[in-house]
Amino acid sequence: MELHRVRRLASTLVASQLRAGRSSSDPASFFGRPELIGLIDLALFLGAAGLVQGGVGAASLSRSQVTALTNGLLPFLPLIATAVVLVAGVMFELTTTAKFAASDAANWLPISPGEYLLASVSAIAYTYSPAIAAALGGVLPIVLMGGTLPVYLATAAFSIVALFEGAILVEMVRSATQRASSVTAGRRGHASLLARASVLILVILLLQLAFNPVFLLGIAQRLGTVALATAAVPFFWSTEALTQWVGGNVEAGAVFAIAQLAFVAALAYIAIDFRERSWAPTPIEVQLEAHRYATRNPVLALVGLSAAESALVVKDLKGLVRRREMLPTLVVPIVLVVLVLVEGSALGGIVSVLWVGWVAGFFALLVAGSSIGQERRAIQSLYAFPLSVGSLVRAKATFVLVPSLIVAAALAVVVGLFFGLSAPDVLSVLLLVVAASIVLTFWGLAFAARYSDFQERPRPQFLRPIGMLAATGSGMALLFAILVPGTLALLYPSPLSVPMGLLGAGLTVGIGGLAVYWTRSGFRQLFRSLPF
Amino acid sequence: MAALPTGAPLSGGTTDPARDARGSALQVDGISKSFGSVQALSSVSFSVDAGEIVGLLGPNGAGKSTTMRAVLGLIPTDSGEIRLFGKNVGVDPEGTKRLSGYVPEAPALYEFLTGAEYLDFVADMYGLDPTTRAGRIQQFLMGFELAGHENSLISGYSQGMKQKVALIAALAHRPRLLILDEPLNGLDPRSARVTKDLLRNLAAHDGVAVLFSTHVLEIAQAICDRIVILHRGHVLASGTVAALRDRAGLAGRDLEEVFLALTGTGDLKDVVDALSR
Repeated sequence: MELHRVRRLASTLVASQLRAGRSSSDPASFFGRPELIGLIDLALFLGAAGLVQGGVGAASLSRSQVTALTNGLLPFLPLIATAVVLVAGVMFELTTTAKFAASDAANWLPISPGEYLLASVSAIAYTYSPAIAAALGGVLPIVLMGGTLPVYLATAAFSIVALFEGAILVEMVRSATQRASSVTAGRRGHASLLARASVLILVILLLQLAFNPVFLLGIAQRLGTVALATAAVPFFWSTEALTQWVGGNVEAGAVFAIAQLAFVAALAYIAIDFRERSWAPTPIEVQLEAHRYATRNPVLALVGLSAAESALVVKDLKGLVRRREMLPTLVVPIVLVVLVLVEGSALGGIVSVLWVGWVAGFFALLVAGSSIGQERRAIQSLYAFPLSVGSLVRAKATFVLVPSLIVAAALAVVVGLFFGLSAPDVLSVLLLVVAASIVLTFWGLAFAARYSDFQERPRPQFLRPIGMLAATGSGMALLFAILVPGTLALLYPSPLSVPMGLLGAGLTVGIGGLAVYWTRSGFRQLFRSLPF
Repeated sequence: MAALPTGAPLSGGTTDPARDARGSALQVDGISKSFGSVQALSSVSFSVDAGEIVGLLGPNGAGKSTTMRAVLGLIPTDSGEIRLFGKNVGVDPEGTKRLSGYVPEAPALYEFLTGAEYLDFVADMYGLDPTTRAGRIQQFLMGFELAGHENSLISGYSQGMKQKVALIAALAHRPRLLILDEPLNGLDPRSARVTKDLLRNLAAHDGVAVLFSTHVLEIAQAICDRIVILHRGHVLASGTVAALRDRAGLAGRDLEEVFLALTGTGDLKDVVDALSR
């Protein structure tokens, strides 16, 4: 293994991600260089440290309070790091098309699977390092007050190991989905596509759940064996090691620490083997039944779409279920729903309604956010077709709304049944969730029009990182603003229910109107000039 | 093996309406375009008449693809005007696109669709009725030897097969102006020949105007009525091959030598010698 080659490849993969978007972006710019992430890490670390220092100073905590805070926070940082990389990584790192993966230079350059894996894993870990940098910065003032610097340093080291652990798992998911893509080799018909989609969704779902610390902890809590689970499940070994050290059990902590490192090394070994055996992303010829030439889907015609708009919607829906890189999006609501079901009725009432609305809205945001970037370079044909901007907005919005409203309705019914809500309550939840989905659809489209990434290259994304961050952050805030008044009015009837309901409706209409306006202006701007 | 029809129904008749009603299909007047500090096009002017095949030639980076994209309205120009059949591209983009068929330099197709699904999708974009489109697409599939592959996902196609799908997509709605950016890329010799003959027929019998870019100068010489040579964003020369020969003072020479002489890249011996060492 040549580390120089690994470093160059990792640096190229990070740059590929940073230089997402328009071809006119200046490669010499600092914003396209891997050092940018290091700078962000530093800024977040110092910023968080400064903020918390101010807060802690104002709160004037006692020594015992500080110690309790430290002991409660530090052991869980590595766990959070793994979860962040795993969830975000699977969502955003698997968008390479099979076509590109097949022609990826890493396949034909003299790079060994081990070198590729180390480079790729380093790139992923580095990309997501800002999340943990902010957390480590935030706890530093408390640690300094409590005098637990050695444990803090160990936490920092384990957090970095955890970032790598999550990144290795992402690479394993990548290899597994490549393998699963070939499930239809030599088969014919639409059933083969359905089989492929189902297998891919299942693989991503199982890997997401099997390695998701939140899910595992939820299961352990339900079984009432948290202590046993944290000792037996490798993902908790960092936490165990730190907990033991905080409690003064140095030897026990060392055992867990060594076990954790050995586990990550074993994972890396398995991931290299996975890649060696599975990485053959040659596009497979899949033959379907004879095509019947037709125009204007009758259902879409009913909602007033023209033949061209209808064709665009059908095309995008086919892409959603046929493209490997789109399938992680479909897995998101399933994972989130499974998580809430595992957490069980302990949540109940308001939390379950909020959760359902949040999942449905977030799903709409994800699909909308990817709806333009997923065109990749084929978007140039949309510029060449005789289509108006209005047609494109209608078609893309319908494409997002079809799966989003199905998910919203399914979630409202499933959660209604699971938590035993009455029929009127289920209907109210449904209305709330549908409203949230519609608003978030246009919110996502507005970002997609401005921040889409059309490049076919290593580490592509449907949305550029800045757009993804802004869309997710603002989308979460909007969901909160839309859902909370309605949920409170629904679950806690009082004289304030009507004003609360009206406030929720007003916010929904207002934000929705803004989102539609912003989407239209974004589409007008986007389709004024080819972006590459 | 079915040959692609060169008369009816693709050409629609045996008369010569193009020559009868010859007029300007495409008029490009003084367009300029810059990308940041790079001046991609500078006061480029040329025209393509109905029934005429005009070759747009130039070294890499000369501005050929930018010109073609501007003609279609895919990118706005900084100055100048483009008219398709009298319609201003900037004022009526949908109307002018409806009259055009375009094959980009590197066609990016929706690879998760089958060939037939993709062509059906494109037919919807141009408002072709289902009966007409089915017959026409089938004819093209047979002509380009894609029949039997049309129900396979495009992701499994070779580069040449994808290029054929892109060509069919540009031709199936019978546009009055074809804008073809290196359309013969990746085609096998038979399909390349079919394409060249088809373009000649469409121009001669249907009055279709063709703006065609290629780096294969023998092809340009064989099928183009006129040549426009772009160099560093400027029109360096335009006219028939004979006129270009006269201008270069290379009577009797082929287009390649004329092109190299006009673009100042003729003396390649030193380069080849250096690379051979």
